[in-house]
Formats: sequence, C-alpha cells, structure tokens
Amino acid sequence: MSQTTTPPADVDVFGPGSLLRRLVNEARWGLAVARATLLEAAHPQIGAALMENSTFLTHPWRRLRNTTMSSRRLLDPDPRVRDREAARLNRLHAHMSGVDAQGRPYDATDPEARAWVVATLFESTVTMCRLSGDALDAEAMRRLYDEHRTLLALIDGSSDRLPETLPQFWAYYDDVVEHRLENNEAVGVILYRLFANVPAPPVLRAHPALWTAGRAVAGPVAAAITIASLPEAFSRRVALPDLPGARTLMQTTYLGAALATRYLPESWTRVEFVMGLLDPSPGGADPWEAVRRRAGKAAALARLLTPAGDDDQVTRSADRFFAEVLDQTGDGCLRWPDLAAMAREIATRLDLGEQEEDRLFQAYATWWRELQAALDGDGDGRVTRAEYAAGAARLPGTGLIRIADVLFDVTDTDDDGKIDATEYRDLFRTTFHRDLAGSGDGYTRADFVRQFVSFMSGQQHSAAYTSLLTSG
Amino acid sequence: MVVPRHVACVMDGNGRWAAQRSLPRTAGHEAAEAAVMDVIEAARSAGVAWLSLYAFSTENWRRPSAEVDILMRLVRRAIRKHAPVLHARGIRCRFLGMTDPRIPAPLVQDITDLMTLTRDNRRMTLTVAFDHGGRRDIVEAARSLIRSATPAEQVTEASFAAHLPCPDTPDVDLVIRTSGEQRISNFMLWQVAYAEWVFPEVLWPDFRATHFWECLDTYLRRQRRFGDVRRPTTMTGEGLR
Repeated sequence: MSQTTTPPADVDVFGPGSLLRRLVNEARWGLAVARATLLEAAHPQIGAALMENSTFLTHPWRRLRNTTMSSRRLLDPDPRVRDREAARLNRLHAHMSGVDAQGRPYDATDPEARAWVVATLFESTVTMCRLSGDALDAEAMRRLYDEHRTLLALIDGSSDRLPETLPQFWAYYDDVVEHRLENNEAVGVILYRLFANVPAPPVLRAHPALWTAGRAVAGPVAAAITIASLPEAFSRRVALPDLPGARTLMQTTYLGAALATRYLPESWTRVEFVMGLLDPSPGGADPWEAVRRRAGKAAALARLLTPAGDDDQVTRSADRFFAEVLDQTGDGCLRWPDLAAMAREIATRLDLGEQEEDRLFQAYATWWRELQAALDGDGDGRVTRAEYAAGAARLPGTGLIRIADVLFDVTDTDDDGKIDATEYRDLFRTTFHRDLAGSGDGYTRADFVRQFVSFMSGQQHSAAYTSLLTSG
Repeated sequence: MVVPRHVACVMDGNGRWAAQRSLPRTAGHEAAEAAVMDVIEAARSAGVAWLSLYAFSTENWRRPSAEVDILMRLVRRAIRKHAPVLHARGIRCRFLGMTDPRIPAPLVQDITDLMTLTRDNRRMTLTVAFDHGGRRDIVEAARSLIRSATPAEQVTEASFAAHLPCPDTPDVDLVIRTSGEQRISNFMLWQVAYAEWVFPEVLWPDFRATHFWECLDTYLRRQRRFGDVRRPTTMTGEGLR
C-alpha cells in the first residue's frame, strides 16, 4: 500500500478546526450514520459482509457504541491513537471474506467497498446539514470532503479510491447509486427487522413491556424517517415505500435535531451524553442523574417564577375591591385622581383642618408613588385593574401604613390612643361591626392600622371600609 | 486578616422597630427583608463562606396567629422575589428546622424549590434557621445515634455531630445578635459552642452592610488581641478544643 498520501505521523491531520471531529461528537450525527449504513448495506460487497459477519442485528447498541468509539479514535489528534485504531479495524475486517448467498465473493477489505463506506458517510453528513437548514457552503463542503479522504487514507493507506475533487465525487456517487447499489437482504433486514426488533437499550432492559410498546411506534417511524431521507434514485430502484407525511416527519426530525444542537446545552447533545442515557455505566457519572438534577432545578425555578398559586383568592377579591373602592373615577384604572378623590372624601367626612388634610394627602401621595413603583408594570402612570390584581398580594407597603396612621390620628379626636365608638361612627357612619370590634371598647392604633392595611390591600373584606370609600 | 468562616445572625428587634414607629409588628418583619438581603450581599462580598440567619424559632409559634400568618406570607414572598438573584450570586440556600406541620404547604414547596434550585452553588452557603430549635436538633441527633446502634464508647463529639441536621456545617465563628439583647435563645446550640458574640444596639430592620462590617471588624480585633496574648492560631472550634 502506498504511504505517499499519508501526512507525517506527528501532525493532527484533521486540523484543530476539523468539521468532522465536531460533527462526530454531536448526537444528531446518528441520523447521518443510520442513513449511511443503509446506503453501505446496499453495496453488494458490504451487504454480504454485513449479513455474514456482523452482529449488528443482535447487538445493535453495542455496535453503535463501538462504531462511535472507533470513529472518534480515528479522528483523534494523537497519531498513535489513530494508527492503532486503523490497524485494529484492518485486522477486524481481514477476517471478513467469503462467498455470499448468490455465490459472489466478498471481502471486507476491498478498497472499492471501503471508499464507498467513506463516501456514504460524507454524503449523509452533507445531507444532514442540508435537511437541518444549515447547508454547508462550498468551502466547508470541500474541507469536509478532504477530511473524509484523509479518513480513507488512514484506514486504507490511500485515498485514491475517492475522486480528488467534489464535482468528480458527485459524478462517482450518482453512478454508484444508480448502477452498483442493489436491493439486497441487508437493506431489508435493516429497514424491516432491525428497526422493528431492536432489543431494549441497557437503560430499559428492566422494562421490556415499556420498550416493546415504544418500539411498536418508534420502529416504523425510524424506518420511515430513514427511507424518506434516501436519494430518490435509490428509493426508486429499490422500490422503497413513499408514505404520505414521511418527508415532513423526516425534515422535522432533522430540523429538530439541528435546533436541539444549537439551543440545548452543548453537553446534552453530545454523543457520549446520549450514549450514556442509553447505557448508563455503573462506574462513570450517570447522565440520568445529571438530567434529573438539572430538570429538578429548572422545574424549581419555573415554580418559583410563576405567580404564587394560593394568591388566586386574593387576586379575585382584589379585583372586586379595585372596582368597588379604588377606581373612584370609574375609568377602569387607578390614577392619582382616584386616590385624591379618596383623600378628599375622608377629609370632607371628618371635616379636617388644613394641616390634617395636608398630612392625609401627603400620605396618599406616598402610597401612590409606591403603587406606581410596585404595580405600574408598563410605566404609563396608571395602574390598571390587571396590574393591581396581579400585585395586590405584594401589598401592603409603608405608604398604606402611613395613611392608616394619619387616618387614626385624625379620627382619634380625643387623643386617647383609641378609636372609640363615636369616633368610629364619625369615620364610617356606622356602628362597630361585630367581627371587627377587636377588644370591644375601641381600636388601638395597631389594630386599626392592621385592619385598614389588610382591607386596602384587598385581603379582607369589610363593609364599613367599603362604604367609607364608595358612598357619596 | 482572617474573615470568619461561619457568621450567624440572630435577627432581633423587628417588633421594637415597628413599635417605635407605632406600626404593627408585621411592618417590622417586612422591613427586615431589606436588612437580610443587605447582609447576605455584604457577607458574600466579604468572603464569608457560611452565613446563618435565625429567622423563626420553635418558640415563635407562641406569637399571635395573625402575626405568624403574615410572617409566613412575608417569607414566602421574599423567597419568590429573591430566589433568582440568590441563585445568580452562587448562593446555596438551606433551611434548618422546618418540621412543624403548621408551616403552610405552599411555603414548604417554595423553600424546597429554593433549596433544589441552589443546591449546586458553592460561593456561599446560606442557612436559614426556620422553625429551628437548637435543643431539638441535639435531641434529633441523639435519636439518630441510638437508631444507628452506635456503641456508647464509640460516641465522640465528631461522631455525634455527624448526626446533626446539615452535618457539613462548620462551627459558628461569630454570632451577631442585634438590638442589644444578649441571649442565646436556643440557636444552633451545638455549633455556637466556641463562637464569638457581638451585640450591636441597632435593631435588625436598620441593620445594614456597614453594621455587618463593623461586627466583622470587632471580631477581627478581638481575635488579634486574643492571639497576641495566648495563641497565634485562628479562633475556630478546632483551635480551642
């Protein structure tokens, strides 16, 4: 074998910016590999070798893991790792030769067959990018092709079996698809037996019923997706079914995989993470544990960020309170004139002097500033009914307490630190409500403030307060 | 200059703060929220790795039920409001106590969520003693020890401490009790065994980062004087045992 096309052994032949190395680490590359495997199997030599020697039908998960490990070793920056893996593959394939069912000889080390394996990988990767909505540009495609040729040179010692330029490659590829590929046993086995009978991945071995039920749906879907992504010329020749909706499903899958790769945390869409999910090894870090932890945290954050559920009661009553008490002008939103009207009403009813009236207005102004800061979500100088209802549970603020304070002072005309029955009647034009009477002989300041604040924040209904602010 | 590793605050004086202003006691609890956030930030930026706050003791259930109700609601509101910031600051939040069925279920859910959300954070551990009693923790540890069938002669201080809730919590180095009160009030009894105590006169709702730094300063000066005369090492529990 010629060594001339193999670069010096101490160089990272794929380069630090290798496209192939990046793609191999992405879980979605599995779609391309599944598709490429089918196209490989349709090659007479490879199909025969697969049927006679491979264990992929009985141990597909092990095979998947081995293939992944192998391709990553072949792409390793360390030349010793690469060479060891290439030598191992060659030893493995050297034993696979013989005669197929039709009496045709096959050989797993056949250079033409190997070139086709690499060609299908390249074409499937290009197709994956195309179907994912981020088609490779000419430069990227050329680089990716060169990397595949390098890959072939690593295994085979030479990349001569793949055309040198891309235009030549496409001609070669189309020619093989149209003239060499066949509808052999291996193709049928992959499409209709492998997908339909995939044994449970290790993680689901303990739940065979669950796996069987899931596979009954997932198997045909996987087959349909793979078939829909195949070259039209091949599907026609092999007479593969073209089911309605299959192309949409296939495109959605590829697009979904691309979006997941772009937007999910990188560690989730890497191949070892997905492989780890399928086959959690007891020794290493269990990715399921990582998923559970992250999902738990995300759910916790979501719950903490959604408005508190048990505030619904408050929200509803606050809504009514808004309409009945707060919105004095009846325009559906709370503005300064509404609050000024409340202050004016109280000042009038209690016949306040200028100084007391000023204190009351000041307190209302403070409360208004607080309301605006806390509830006026869109900053338009008005608190809408919705804004108030949503924020009512966050009240009271100190502004409200100051209003209550002033109200207590101006109501407590004899300055004994209590609001007695007469003073109460002056304020509310009603006698003590039985439930609100507290100790029975009047309100202390603390009682009064608490009552007022809980009423004004819509948490406690009180006919007395409602009449104070709605009548007249 | 060695910043204390574990600082604990007994947040005292909310009721007096409110009373001085003729406000309901709950207004004091409400005002305490700002102090809590200020102290958390001050401790974090000072490099304190463990901060504990005494929020609610097992004895506080004796308060009027209306006050307890509002307090629970305030805590829930504060947790929901500050959870994203605490998480973003890399603070791991834990609650010590939390066994009483009277704690409202939604609050328990929120507290659990906050602990879940922040459990992998490492910058600082904030332990909120909520429905906490120091003696109860010790009794619980004793029960756990008996259940584990440890032979009596094998029970040491260290093996006993391993049965306390949150056993990874180190000894408290400095306790700050605001409002001038000078009592332990059943707070983390095991962990404060070797703690330095400072008693600033300021009421908790007025307690701010500057007060916190003053307390750290007091601690450092005390420690330095102590070190000059007796021993040069830091004043942790280990050093004195």
